[in-house]
Amino acid sequence: MVLERLKLDGKVAVVTGAGRGLGRQMALALAQAGADVVCAARTAEQIDRTSADIAALGRRAVAQPTDVRDSKQCDALIQRAVDEFGGIDIMLSNAGIGDMRGANAELWDVNDDDWHDTLDVNLSSAFYCARAASKQMAAQGRGGTIINLASGTAMRAYPMSFGYGAAKAGVIALTKSLSAMLIKHQIRVNCIIPGFVMQAPAQNEQAAIFSQTRGRYLPAQRLGEAWELGPLAIFLASDASSYVTGQGFVIDGGGLAGGLAPMGFAPDVAL
Amino acid sequence: MKNEWGDVRLGTDAWDLSGKRALVIGAGAPAGRAIALALGEAGADVTVSSATTDGEDMMRVKRVAQELTKMGRRSSAVGTDVTLGTGVQVMVRQVAKDMGGIDVLVNAPDLFLGKPAGDTTDIDFNRVMQVNLAGTFHGCRAVGREMLKQETGGRIINIASVLGERAIANAAAYCAAQAGILNLTRALATEWGPKKITVNAIAAGWMEYTAAIGNPDPAANQTVRFVPMKRAGAADELGPLAVYLASDSCGYISGQVMFVDGGLTTHL
Repeated sequence: MVLERLKLDGKVAVVTGAGRGLGRQMALALAQAGADVVCAARTAEQIDRTSADIAALGRRAVAQPTDVRDSKQCDALIQRAVDEFGGIDIMLSNAGIGDMRGANAELWDVNDDDWHDTLDVNLSSAFYCARAASKQMAAQGRGGTIINLASGTAMRAYPMSFGYGAAKAGVIALTKSLSAMLIKHQIRVNCIIPGFVMQAPAQNEQAAIFSQTRGRYLPAQRLGEAWELGPLAIFLASDASSYVTGQGFVIDGGGLAGGLAPMGFAPDVAL
Repeated sequence: MKNEWGDVRLGTDAWDLSGKRALVIGAGAPAGRAIALALGEAGADVTVSSATTDGEDMMRVKRVAQELTKMGRRSSAVGTDVTLGTGVQVMVRQVAKDMGGIDVLVNAPDLFLGKPAGDTTDIDFNRVMQVNLAGTFHGCRAVGREMLKQETGGRIINIASVLGERAIANAAAYCAAQAGILNLTRALATEWGPKKITVNAIAAGWMEYTAAIGNPDPAANQTVRFVPMKRAGAADELGPLAVYLASDSCGYISGQVMFVDGGLTTHL
């Protein structure tokens, strides 16, 4: 029965970057599907709010402030799941930070710290969390799922976000390698590759106009909305994706599929 | 708890297809059948069509329609030869009339040919192209026309194969046809996106029913042993993804190929 395969009752999810935007929506979705959730982010305030919202859905949630650049804090995050809820079944590594250091800059203006910082927050964090989570999952002996967040910027040239793109491309490759390494423990590893997705509803006129104009270039004619990643996270976290591993799921309104010409370009040439 | 995005279906309620009208072409074969049943379990009304005029194919399709009716869904069995575009058009027009419209199309024609390229005749090549690629196009074109008329958007899901992205020996025609389905998917997604029609493909790996690999038992099968999950996939493992792609909550995924292959294409 297809709908049974989506259920996450009895499962424990750890979500990084759960305080706002995509991570918050995915944490809410996993909870709605039945999971208890450990919500992680750098500061407490926003993850306290996500946790409270999950409790209002009738599930258990705790907030664990975590700097994902520090592997010891990632270890502690997984340990929190074990201490609070007895284990971990779903590791959703969503923490990441945009990087516009290439914007209006020459390549040689970007220093070592900038480069390492981008890699640490976006790529190393995925490694640290996967390492800690998979070790615990293997000890539990009942498999598990790891979901990483990459980005469409990993798939094309984005001079203003070249570091971010490189780090996210690393996440895509890491996802494949981890899937091969961890399948023997029945752990599936996949990643979500968002295109332009709004983290929150437009708060003002300017933001609304921005999202409309950016959306014009996409087959979907709009930017994505953070909540749209929720059902995708449930799919990848649950038995619904039982034969899926090592994959990247692009959610981008068709941008990566088309894009060779502006939307509306429709040549009319007979044979 | 009020979600800042409003009344959105971001949980398992996203999978509710109540009120949706689906057409599955190729429901007489394992993939089409499994997906038709999954759509029905999720609440959709599903018309099931054969992909050929073969009697056995029609019988199997009728049985799927019976299974759907037993679930409490509106369902009927129709037949078509996917290689004949006009025939597909006529079938689709009738289905649209009977159901009041079509919201979801699943194309699952499949014809595998295992033959050295040098021995593959014109007739062989054209046949493989006609069933797999043209067959998919005919379904998309006919239902696309209906969806464009309806002006309420739609979901098209093309069932393809990992052989559209990679190759094996003795399958040149099939590999070419499958690759065609994948880029056809992207082209239609780009063209129809502004009309709120999403078009995606599910690329199935080595499944229990895959003609190319024969016996799916990994103990017997040199190829299935290379699947990271060390097994062939079951047809019902395609269902949940098809349901998600058919849903209203999936409007931002389009032009994509999703591999349901036990990790096969990541590894090889």
